[in-house]
Amino acid sequence: MSNPTTPVIEDRTPPPGTRAGRSRGYAADVWYQFRRRRLSMAALTFVVGLTIVAILSPAIVGTKPVICRYRGQIYFPALGYFHDRWENAVFKTRDKFRGVYPKNLTTKDPQSWAVWPLVYQDPYRRVRANEWKDQPANPSGDQGVPSQYNLFGTNQAGIDVFAQMIHGTRVALLVGLFSTGISAIIGVVVGSLAGYFRGWVDVVLSRCIEVVMSIPALVLILALISIFEKTSIWHVMGVLGLTGWTGIARLTRGEFLRLREMDFVVGARAVGASGLRIMFSHILPNATAPILVPVSFGIASAILVESALSFLGFGPPPPNPSWGTVLNAGRSNLQMWWLIVFPGSAIFLTVLAYNLIGEGLQEATDPRLRNNEK
Amino acid sequence: MVNYLIRRLLIGCLTLVAITAIIYALIRSMPGSPLTLQMAEVDPSKAISEQDFQQMRRMYGLHKPIHEAYLGWLGSLCRGELGRSISRKQPVTKLIAERIGPTLALSVSSLILTYLLAVPMGLYSVVRSNRPEERCLATGLYMLYSLPSYVAALLLLVLFAVRLRGTAFELPLFGMVSDGHAQLSWWGKLADIAWHMVLPVTCYTYGALAFMARFVKSNMEEVIRQDYIRTARAKGVGSFGVIVVHAFRNTLIPFVTELGLTLPGLLSGSVILEQIFTWPGIGRLFFESIAERDYPTIMGLTLMFSLMTLVFQLLADILYAVVDPRVTFQ
Repeated sequence: MSNPTTPVIEDRTPPPGTRAGRSRGYAADVWYQFRRRRLSMAALTFVVGLTIVAILSPAIVGTKPVICRYRGQIYFPALGYFHDRWENAVFKTRDKFRGVYPKNLTTKDPQSWAVWPLVYQDPYRRVRANEWKDQPANPSGDQGVPSQYNLFGTNQAGIDVFAQMIHGTRVALLVGLFSTGISAIIGVVVGSLAGYFRGWVDVVLSRCIEVVMSIPALVLILALISIFEKTSIWHVMGVLGLTGWTGIARLTRGEFLRLREMDFVVGARAVGASGLRIMFSHILPNATAPILVPVSFGIASAILVESALSFLGFGPPPPNPSWGTVLNAGRSNLQMWWLIVFPGSAIFLTVLAYNLIGEGLQEATDPRLRNNEK
Repeated sequence: MVNYLIRRLLIGCLTLVAITAIIYALIRSMPGSPLTLQMAEVDPSKAISEQDFQQMRRMYGLHKPIHEAYLGWLGSLCRGELGRSISRKQPVTKLIAERIGPTLALSVSSLILTYLLAVPMGLYSVVRSNRPEERCLATGLYMLYSLPSYVAALLLLVLFAVRLRGTAFELPLFGMVSDGHAQLSWWGKLADIAWHMVLPVTCYTYGALAFMARFVKSNMEEVIRQDYIRTARAKGVGSFGVIVVHAFRNTLIPFVTELGLTLPGLLSGSVILEQIFTWPGIGRLFFESIAERDYPTIMGLTLMFSLMTLVFQLLADILYAVVDPRVTFQ
């Protein structure tokens, strides 16, 4: 039995990976804590992988060559998948390829060569017979079960689901980043103003946050979306950005209320730094890690809501290759399970990944959560 | 207390005015009006003349500018009227009263189910904290939490309504009642509705279940570190008694508060699921009235949703102070 009067010696050795005598900065500390959570790191890897897929989507699946040499010139027609106008005008207007490259390239310039995407399928149109070597035409109607030519099957119109999914990655990630970016900007500005100036500024801004929070999200989103005559993906992103900032604003406000009393802020004020400078170059960097928590959850919910809107038919009109649009096609053709299982899993995994990242950040930034480890 | 209540109520009224004003401005800015949309459906030979069109606009008060029309809506609201639906030619209150039953049937039964399942799950996770079986349960629940309800609904429909059609496990594809519902006996009717409710209630429940089980667990984890739990253990209370009687009773406050905050979310969250299951509830009504540009109905539903949110927030705050004497209204 140990003597009860023996003083307990606290273990003060720094955690492995740190240089003794010098403590980590706050951001490095959060990153260290985050890295220890295996699930969150796996989620981060998944998102990075998804980003690579999104960037390389025209090279993975498409009907336009990634690089081709045509009449003595080098072209990159696959860029047309990113933006319509980036597809070289030679093919669209002058030489009238009508989107079908393989035959046209060889007949119009026998000297030409091209590097093709891994899979010859298109997210916007049905591939016809013998367009690509001896690949048969895509089946249409409810005949499009997954096959070696259509990995994830085809929809009613005969458009390849795999192509739609791969190109839909771009839409999903863009929606997540762009709309949450808007939310983050609004939220951080509103929250930091309210938290830093307090007083009537805080009262007014907090009221605004409360009003927006009290409107059920989907009611506000549907009302905003319906304003546009023709909805594009940018409209959807804007609307999601304009409605999703309240959580970020509340958290930023709390962080600013807490940080503005800290010594380093008093110091900065004593040196004569202006209010704006204190807010954005002294306080904000210290609040960034906690703010990333609602941002990460916000990305998850933006992807979720965008798919829901496309699913309900409130999104951009087809042929927009969004995961929700594919799912919407599956809703009226329940026997075509591949229209539901593949986009459903994609939405699920992406939302799960962003939630896990958010969770990891939350535990990495909240000292209460990180200290009671098993 | 009274001061606090009055202040909260006044702020609540102002918030409601702000919300309805925002939504009114938004829906009036939507392209098309309830009249043009209706006319588009009838064939051109029957199109009404410009004169009649103007008369109809005046009849429904659509000729006024937005702010005047909004004040008019607010005025009739003060007299307790929500107006008449333009596309359905019925009073909005009657429409909502007709549609709220099916929605409540879904949300209340899923709420009860959630709580019945979440509490034992949460308590189990606390007792078995960090054991492999608890990690499995937690991971499973977390994955359910991230599974979008519309995806789950479609997958369940594929399985139960399409693949298992003709077997004993078949569940209906859509709607609340079968075709021959009127001929059934009283019990038959009830069973028919319950049969139709299985899938929607499942979809409503699983996400909330995952959330609530985690909520119970995190609250319990704070409580079981308290001194009085150690005291109870020391005096020899069995582990079941400690968890249920001593610990769980002390987490009831946040638990009840959470209940107040979930209910309004369940009502407005019904928009997507009711659309998938063609459930004749208010979520679907909202969806339809947006498509029909039925201003009075949209406004009535918006008012109801936001009023519920505010009232339940207030109730939760009051309840918090009633059960916990340390909370004061300052």
